[in-house]
Amino acid sequence: MNAAIQASGLGKQYRRAWALRDCTLAIPEGHVAGLVGPNGAGKTTLLRLAAGMLTPTRGTITILGQRPAAGPAQLARVGFVAQDTPVYSRMTVADHLRLGDWLNPGWDGHLARRRISQLALNPKQRAGSLSGGQRAQLALTLALAKRPGMLILDEPVASLDPLARREFLQVLMEAVAGQGLSVLLSSHLVADLERVCDYLVVLVASRIRIAGEVSDLLASHHRLSGPRRDPGTLAADQEILTESHTDKQSNLLVRTDEPILDPTWAVKPVSLEDLVLAYMSRVGDGPVSPQQLKVVP
Amino acid sequence: MIRLSMLQLRVQAITAAVALIAFAALLAATGPHLVSLYAASGLRGCQPASCGQRASSFLQQVDSTSPYAAVYPLSIVLIALTPVITGLFWAAPLLARELETGTFALAWSQSVTRTRWLAVKLIVGGLAAMAVTEALSLLFAWWAAPLGRAAGLGGSGGLAMNPFNPLAFATHGITPLGYAAFAFTLGVTAGALIRRTVPAMAVTLAIFAALQIAMPLWIRPNLLPASHTTVAVSNETTLNLFRTDSPHTFAFTLATESLPGQPGAWIRSSGAADAAGHPVGTVVPSACTSAAISSGPGAGLANCLTSRGIRIAVTYQPASRYWPLQWTETGFYLVLSLALAGYCFRRLSRLS
Repeated sequence: MNAAIQASGLGKQYRRAWALRDCTLAIPEGHVAGLVGPNGAGKTTLLRLAAGMLTPTRGTITILGQRPAAGPAQLARVGFVAQDTPVYSRMTVADHLRLGDWLNPGWDGHLARRRISQLALNPKQRAGSLSGGQRAQLALTLALAKRPGMLILDEPVASLDPLARREFLQVLMEAVAGQGLSVLLSSHLVADLERVCDYLVVLVASRIRIAGEVSDLLASHHRLSGPRRDPGTLAADQEILTESHTDKQSNLLVRTDEPILDPTWAVKPVSLEDLVLAYMSRVGDGPVSPQQLKVVP
Repeated sequence: MIRLSMLQLRVQAITAAVALIAFAALLAATGPHLVSLYAASGLRGCQPASCGQRASSFLQQVDSTSPYAAVYPLSIVLIALTPVITGLFWAAPLLARELETGTFALAWSQSVTRTRWLAVKLIVGGLAAMAVTEALSLLFAWWAAPLGRAAGLGGSGGLAMNPFNPLAFATHGITPLGYAAFAFTLGVTAGALIRRTVPAMAVTLAIFAALQIAMPLWIRPNLLPASHTTVAVSNETTLNLFRTDSPHTFAFTLATESLPGQPGAWIRSSGAADAAGHPVGTVVPSACTSAAISSGPGAGLANCLTSRGIRIAVTYQPASRYWPLQWTETGFYLVLSLALAGYCFRRLSRLS
């Protein structure tokens, strides 16, 4: 299977500061990948590099095998909904559909009109007077109706209320199921991603901390609790992400690809949220993506 | 992409069309009467000897007839302002508003490269701005044709304007095309650099105004080499006489507004000179002092100065240079516009 997104040594520098560094990533096609990290971690930079809005300072990135925005054909294969879902406030909903029709050879007018009527949007309404949720839906409609192979969404639900958030993600999932898209979407809330993503990328302080399929990540991370002991005595393949100790007890969150054999530990599964928080709060910036261990640059 | 640029220019296009139609209606309402005034003045087929007088009185009459004295300057102002208006309200927001509101991300993620996007926007908007400006200029040229013919027959005063007059030169011929193209690309470039609509508009206005002031003062006179000649002091000459600090010593200056046999020439400068054209001092020769005392700056002094070999040296552009100057100046602005457009394309990849 081809890679939906393949990045190697990708970096972006603004004036002095690096917004993204040493980003190496290979997300296979067909996934709904979530990009999560605190505000200012570089999520938007990574997505804009993927959408071809930015050019990399270092390294390379390809989407579905080609450089982003390399030409009209590549632009047609990638749908992008930028942060705050920008639309032309003075143009009507119908004007936006016309724009999509004029500028995209693969435009699916039927799909666009059906979505607009499902959303109960008035085609004559100006986009500037739409609610945040409606605007996001309009922007998503434009991105979906060009029939892309890859959809990139930057914090699409950040400004939406919980109901609109749920609706948006539901519509997105239906479209993904129907059109067979690969998706990369970002959020600073794990809860948003947990429902929809089967692949996760954690970005902290402009570096990727971990990336992988959600099921693999959950299988390789464990919460251990047991009598207090020195963490240095753990098996060599177990990497400690977080640790807390009381006088009598030790609680650890470890990553390992091997089973936990030590009978003194009570082993519990971790939630995706705990896992992400563990990587976000971890000191040190060594990239520990299992992807990276496998990929030969 | 062409359809999108037209859709996004819809409001501006409607505004321009309304202005154009209103202007055309104003000229159409007043133009035929101007033609009938011209016919009534007997200028058509007049004898050359009597033409100048009749032409002047026709021009005076038009100037004192009510709508014309207002329509003429109004038209000049409108034509002169149209390029900068399109530069401010069409061109400056073209990139700046997309960058300001974030809609560039929507525009540039459609299946059209941003180079093509900008090319179409520049061509559609730029050509529309040029077309509107030139249309206004041509409408006005049609309306003012009787005035031009009267001036060509030697009429002066009233609404007669030398074609080289800064206002006339900038609103007739093809220069409005150059100004419109330049103001448009300047607005787009300012938007690309400043990324905010209102400051981009302010910078566009400042730079365009500065160049439009510098052009007639310092640039246009040097676009083509000037001609030089000397002419005799005559009753067309402006002669000024001044007292100096020393007793019985006077200073004088000579100037002329027109050249015999060179109607419509653009006089750049004129001053007292000897027969060879070298400038002479401004002190009245002692032989002419008595004439200066008795007749002041009159014919006596003028004759005396002539008898001392003093003539007027004139630096000028002959009327035949009008179109070469128009082409050169328009070309200058078009080259500037192309350079700005090229810069916008180079900067385009770094805009988002």
